[in-house]
Amino acid sequence: MQSKLTDIELIQRTLKGDQRAYALLVKTYQRYVFTLALRFTKSREDAEEVAQDSFIKVYKALSSFKQESKFSTWLYTVVYTTAMTSLRKRNTNTVALDDEDNFIQVENSTSVADVNSAENRSRSFYLNQAISQLSADDAAVLTLFYHAEQSLEEIALIMGIETNGVKIKLFRARRRLKETLERNLKHEVKELI
Amino acid sequence: MNNMEEKLWEYIDGTCSGEERVAIAALIEKDAVWRTAFNNMQAINSEISEMTLDEPSMAFSYKVMEGVRALEASKPLKTSVSKYIIGGIAGFLVLTIVVIITVILADAKQNAGAIATDLNLPNISAVTLSSVIRAFFYFDIMLLLFLADAFLRRKRGNTQVKSV
Repeated sequence: MQSKLTDIELIQRTLKGDQRAYALLVKTYQRYVFTLALRFTKSREDAEEVAQDSFIKVYKALSSFKQESKFSTWLYTVVYTTAMTSLRKRNTNTVALDDEDNFIQVENSTSVADVNSAENRSRSFYLNQAISQLSADDAAVLTLFYHAEQSLEEIALIMGIETNGVKIKLFRARRRLKETLERNLKHEVKELI
Repeated sequence: MNNMEEKLWEYIDGTCSGEERVAIAALIEKDAVWRTAFNNMQAINSEISEMTLDEPSMAFSYKVMEGVRALEASKPLKTSVSKYIIGGIAGFLVLTIVVIITVILADAKQNAGAIATDLNLPNISAVTLSSVIRAFFYFDIMLLLFLADAFLRRKRGNTQVKSV
């Protein structure tokens, strides 16, 4: 099967019973979906579970996809709601999604063994660390905007809010990220001294 | 929200109008405070854009497709059997009936032609033993076994789901 097939063509093939076409869709979006799920769950295991559930839900509902939005936007909407539901189920003490103080430290794959010293840590490491310290909502907005290539209007659709609300969330998320980054780097500089 | 910061992000994101864009560009060029803020924000912006995505485990897509296959297997036969298959079976049955009637009529015509006064009925035993009829019965038996197998599988699947 050619890799140049569009999402719509792959969906049509899947609806005709070609499961290989759906496997291609999974391969295309698995990193985006997993990263988005990770922003919520802060744990790789839970993120995989959310991502898997989302892909299966999307497969079940594929015939109802009306093509009014991009497939990716629709997929991320499912991921967003699945992650929110999962988070609510797990947090019996009901932690607010935009509560910055209630973050859980993400299990960062790059934070072990070879990156023990502050000198070895890259800027990307600090960014990843800072994003993992943001609230789920802030981290999700940043991921959708920068990595999932979604417009403000599409993010509004995914999160079920107004476009202006997304704009404000994005401004705040970037500001919090900058503050967190500065705080973490200041701490690392002290560590070095 | 800081007005300068807000305007600069709009400028970087490309969400401001043409006029605003020109005005902000002029401010960045002339005002050192705006220029410094713009450079800092653009640095953050490009760093976030360049961040790599997280990778799920190697078996991720396999697990998803396993889930999809399990979903397909648990679908009731009514929804999983294609309309083309049902149409094919119906067509085959109609064709078989037409063939049998044609054979009977042709045989009857031959007998009637040989002895006009004597109404010889067609040799039914010869017709029923023909290869067409045998194939028809064979197909029916296979179809019956297939349906019985699907029914029992579904029944067993339901029992398992209930026990979970």
